[in-house]
Amino acid sequence: MTSASPATVAPRPGRSRGRLSGGLRAAPYVFIAPFVALFVVFLVLPIVIAVYKSFFAVQRSGLGFGGGEEAFVGLDNYVQAFGNSEFLRSFGRVLLFGAVQVPVMLLIALALALLFDSAMVRGKKFFQLSVFLPYAVPSVVAALIWGFLYQPKVSPIVELLRGMGVDPQFLAPGTVMWSLVNVVIWSVTGVNMIIIFSSLQTVPREMYEAARIDGANELRLALQIKVPMIMPAVLLTTLFSIIGTLQLFNEPMTLRSITSNISGSYTPNMAIYQTTTLGGNLNLGSAMAVLLGIATMVLSIVLSAASNRKKGGAR
Amino acid sequence: MASGNKKRLFAAAATVGVLSLAVTACSGGGDGGSGSGSDGEPVTLEFWGWVPGLEDTVAEWNAANPDIQIDFFRMTGDDGDKIPAAIDAGTAPDIVQMSSHSLPGHIVNDRLTDITEYAGDLEDQFTPSSWGTVVFDSAVYAVPQDSGPSGLLYRTDLFQQYGIDVPTTWDEYLDAARALHAADPDVYIAQFSPNEAGFWIQSVWQNSGSWYGIDGDSWQVTVNDDASMAVADVWQTLLDEDLVKVVEMWTPEYWAEVNDGTIATINYGAWFPALLKESAADLSGQWGIAPTPTFSGSDAAGESGGSVNVVPRGTEHVEQAVEFISWLNASEEGTTHLIDGGVFPSAYVGQENSNLLVEDEYFGGAVANQTFADAAATVPDSWVDGPTFDLTQDALKDAFAQVANGRLTFAEALDQVQAKTVKDLKDMGLEVRE
Repeated sequence: MTSASPATVAPRPGRSRGRLSGGLRAAPYVFIAPFVALFVVFLVLPIVIAVYKSFFAVQRSGLGFGGGEEAFVGLDNYVQAFGNSEFLRSFGRVLLFGAVQVPVMLLIALALALLFDSAMVRGKKFFQLSVFLPYAVPSVVAALIWGFLYQPKVSPIVELLRGMGVDPQFLAPGTVMWSLVNVVIWSVTGVNMIIIFSSLQTVPREMYEAARIDGANELRLALQIKVPMIMPAVLLTTLFSIIGTLQLFNEPMTLRSITSNISGSYTPNMAIYQTTTLGGNLNLGSAMAVLLGIATMVLSIVLSAASNRKKGGAR
Repeated sequence: MASGNKKRLFAAAATVGVLSLAVTACSGGGDGGSGSGSDGEPVTLEFWGWVPGLEDTVAEWNAANPDIQIDFFRMTGDDGDKIPAAIDAGTAPDIVQMSSHSLPGHIVNDRLTDITEYAGDLEDQFTPSSWGTVVFDSAVYAVPQDSGPSGLLYRTDLFQQYGIDVPTTWDEYLDAARALHAADPDVYIAQFSPNEAGFWIQSVWQNSGSWYGIDGDSWQVTVNDDASMAVADVWQTLLDEDLVKVVEMWTPEYWAEVNDGTIATINYGAWFPALLKESAADLSGQWGIAPTPTFSGSDAAGESGGSVNVVPRGTEHVEQAVEFISWLNASEEGTTHLIDGGVFPSAYVGQENSNLLVEDEYFGGAVANQTFADAAATVPDSWVDGPTFDLTQDALKDAFAQVANGRLTFAEALDQVQAKTVKDLKDMGLEVRE
């Protein structure tokens, strides 16, 4: 019987094996062709061009009228980027930003996900949607709205706090970063909560029953069963959040229009924008972009390696 | 059915509109009809601009000039950012409106056509200050369109209430600032906005200064020269004595301060009143206009720069393109359209136009544009833009933010921006003399 079964399946393709299986073999490639084409044209090619461009510079002389010649300069642009203290400082700034924003945001997202999962919340769907909704607001709009709330003369929040005897300075040099952190947390907590929440749904319910029978209360259940079970999801959101922090652009760029305490090279991406769009130096900008890409990659690899080792150790 | 009728109605209306424009153009006796392609063939030129109403202007031109047809595209948002890429890719329009400040940045990237041959003799038709912004190393790269000569807008009610005379010099301005603030601690003579470099440029320009210069085969950087330092003195005094309100320009916060009467004067360009009327409509009749306070030994007014029309590199029909922009910016009919679009023309013929010089209820019936037109004639032709203008402006904003926070003085900020500008120019491989 077992030897016969392949034979019963075989006959149809058997008759025209060469042609059909050839078509079948080609099918996956045809299906992924649109993706590959777009991926190559809009991701791979730009990266290749950026890397290539980063080794060149426009050579000019005198007043420079009439343009210059692009010439190979080796690593000059990279040396220049590393010599740019504003650019280096922008990395320090987003790292500090991320060191605060990512843990706070993830703790809130985790707490909310556990709360929604605990069956203690009424109107769960409504609150879930409410938490998620800010993610649907484009980051520029989010920054504009918060920007409004940060400006003393027009902000109801400032008015309220002043009524209580507090005079908040949301846009001062020392506080503007935390105001920015607040905007980002408001925007992205919801989507991270959803990722963690859906991961919670995959935890087998029997484990909860077993834990309850062993005498665990809801808090212990959450901390000792649920959290360890969804650690992969938490690590994933951490990784995404850190990458997002390095790429920070829209929110600070928008808030810059209401406060000069956010400088033109506040984040790495803003420094790149300044160099390419305002300064017109695509070559140097490309080198800076490559450096940002490498920094992001290194950080991602280090993080996933660390989490893998941790996972291995736990087992 | 109904929509079909509507379409036909529109078509008919459009035809009538174009025909009537054609008739007015002809009866106006414009010299526009003389133009034709050098080889006799009609040419079509693409024109990117943003002045309101240019669609009608172009329709009028097209009807009168069958040989030079203009295809107009309205620029919105950041369309300007597409220009460099479009020129480099060889797909640029034939005529583009841009800020006068961005000219050198494009010239050093070989993106503009030298139009001296066709536009060189237009010089006498424009104010020296506007013409000065389009000439680099004796070559003409653009035709000026609009400009922003300065005027002092002031709250007549506040000045009357506290019995203070409207200042005519910067020294008097400081005294008026002290008197106003003493009379009412909630009132400031002006705001200091680190994010708005235009105020700064305008005053430096007024004092016959500039950020850049050209000396033979090298660029000069003069961000912190004597002319600028004199402006720094005025502002340092205002800031040190707490006579200005620090608030970023164009923000809701800013307009709230204006509407609250916190800010008693705004010394800015001819294009500013339109924005003031829009965002502070309730203050109509409470503003007056006077000439900008002067620096000692000069009656010059300031200027913050305007827009110009350029012919990008690669354009085939340069002569025809210049013929159109000459008509648009230096003829009676062309400038009338610009004025109707709400901009302040750079050409004398536009500044004398009766459509421009109308009584303005917002300013208590004063002919506000007469003040600006008088100012335009006095603005020095000292200002020269440089290839790193945008970076310098950005650096100035960042440095002025530090000034507002008390971490730098204006003089220190200028030194910092000077050094940054020199470095940026050298990084581009250009010759620099400090």
